[in-house]
Amino acid sequence: MSSVELPNGTGTFSLSPIQWRKAWLSIDENEKAISFVTSRVGSFAVCFGVILALALSFQLSLAGLALVSVSLVAMVALPAHRLIILSGASLFYFALRPFRIDGWSQLLRSKAEVISILPHPLVLQFGAVGLVLVLSLGFLMWQKRFSNTTAAKRPVLTLCLLWIGLLLLSMLTTSGSFLNALMWSVVGVSISSFWILAYSATDAKGKDNTSSITRAVFLRPFWGGSAAPIGKSYGYLNRFAAKTDDELAVTRLKALKLAVWALLLAVVLKTVTYLAYDLMGLTQLQTAIVAHADGAGFSTSLNWASLIINYFIDLLIISVWGHFIVSIVRMSGYRIPRNTVNPLASRTLAEFWNRYFFYFKELLVDFFFYPAFTRFFKKNLKMRIAFATFCAAGLGNFLYHFMRETYVFAEGDLIDNLAIFQSAAFYSLALAIGLIVSQWRGKKVKPEDGFLNYHVWPRLNVIAFFCFLKIFDDISGEGSLTERASFAVGLFGV
Amino acid sequence: MTQSIRNFVKTLLSERGKSVEFSDTDALFTSGLLDSMAATELMLHLESDHGVDLADADFDISRLDTIEDLSGFLSQSA
Repeated sequence: MSSVELPNGTGTFSLSPIQWRKAWLSIDENEKAISFVTSRVGSFAVCFGVILALALSFQLSLAGLALVSVSLVAMVALPAHRLIILSGASLFYFALRPFRIDGWSQLLRSKAEVISILPHPLVLQFGAVGLVLVLSLGFLMWQKRFSNTTAAKRPVLTLCLLWIGLLLLSMLTTSGSFLNALMWSVVGVSISSFWILAYSATDAKGKDNTSSITRAVFLRPFWGGSAAPIGKSYGYLNRFAAKTDDELAVTRLKALKLAVWALLLAVVLKTVTYLAYDLMGLTQLQTAIVAHADGAGFSTSLNWASLIINYFIDLLIISVWGHFIVSIVRMSGYRIPRNTVNPLASRTLAEFWNRYFFYFKELLVDFFFYPAFTRFFKKNLKMRIAFATFCAAGLGNFLYHFMRETYVFAEGDLIDNLAIFQSAAFYSLALAIGLIVSQWRGKKVKPEDGFLNYHVWPRLNVIAFFCFLKIFDDISGEGSLTERASFAVGLFGV
Repeated sequence: MTQSIRNFVKTLLSERGKSVEFSDTDALFTSGLLDSMAATELMLHLESDHGVDLADADFDISRLDTIEDLSGFLSQSA
């Protein structure tokens, strides 16, 4: 335990920034700080600190910030009712913001507009949310009741098949009808909470005894995030729940530290974005690719600059976004691991995945890698690892993005819409191959291999691989696979 | 049996340059302390040295998360 009664640890005031930094970083180990945060005033002070960091970062809309603030303040004020507040805030958020991406919201609005009996699109939205809640609760109760059936023992596969069935049925309904609008809305709402339901169903198989109702209420936690749930499920969060006042204080101090770090990174992000795009006139990677495809491409050096800056900006975006979500979860009393942990330190491709987007990696590993690894190619270790990696980084990765974007199938030609996913398919395949080769090589560098071989080359290799892979990381359909490949080879003057 | 698993986990942690101090209830994988490659090494160890079949439909990865979980899982499988 480090004693930091005053930042320099000697009882005298210090102006040294290093001492202040040290004191700040160990604040969650400082007994006086912990004791202060266990008090009512202290817990409110930390809560307002987190809210202030969120507000200053401009990462949330005003409505989003209001919901997070009210929920956190309520949890601090009424700690005994934390679960009720968390559930209520999450239900409220689910009803008002049921979609994770704009494509689904736009689809719902366009479908609602042509249904004359609907007084407002929100009626359709609330109806779809209600139906998804009832269907999810029904699934979880059925799984519990018939736990010995193969379908209940393989809940993720069952859910995938049910969801694909729902999608196909929606595609068969007549466009412009109420049934069509309702079914597409249910498909959109359900895919936004699909993976958290999958986690809840998997928890139900294990030792977690949370009621089906609590699991179902928790389909869209109020801290938001992508379809890959940060904090997985209620069962997962519970494993990290603070059990004593001291644990809660430490968890909240960790939330404050992370929120402040996220704010600093948000400032860096704003500065880098301004310098790169506004001051230096660099173009966004996507713009550079589309311009290249249209025959009006930029110079090779500008394309290189766009590619490299895009990589670092992407790392900053995901770090800021993930840190703020994790800090809200921690402020709620759950000391979950961070989503992003120093990705530039990665020496292997697999390590990068672990450090870059922990909860998405976890999703792929939990639902695709482990099931494949435990069942297939058990006599051949290389094939076993390769196939499980392909199932996760290739198949699972593609399926995740494909399912999330299926709103495109509500209109237009099926084949044309399928073509949108060609880059994503290539991206997933290339990632899987990269990870397989990286794991097959299995060479672990050691400090005694020398500074360059240990610190520099492995990290540069990882950066280069993911930097290039970003060229194909697209789900918009803008810029075909061939055009993206042409951009990539064009970087080398080909 | 528990000691053998504990030693194996210590080796996994030490290979990754992490502290080998942990309690029987500390989350090893869900906390991010050990990664999925470490989990596969542990699974291989369970299969080869303890003769368990992880392909069973009842198997749940969260049952391998702590030393306590692992011991319980192995006694159940024995």
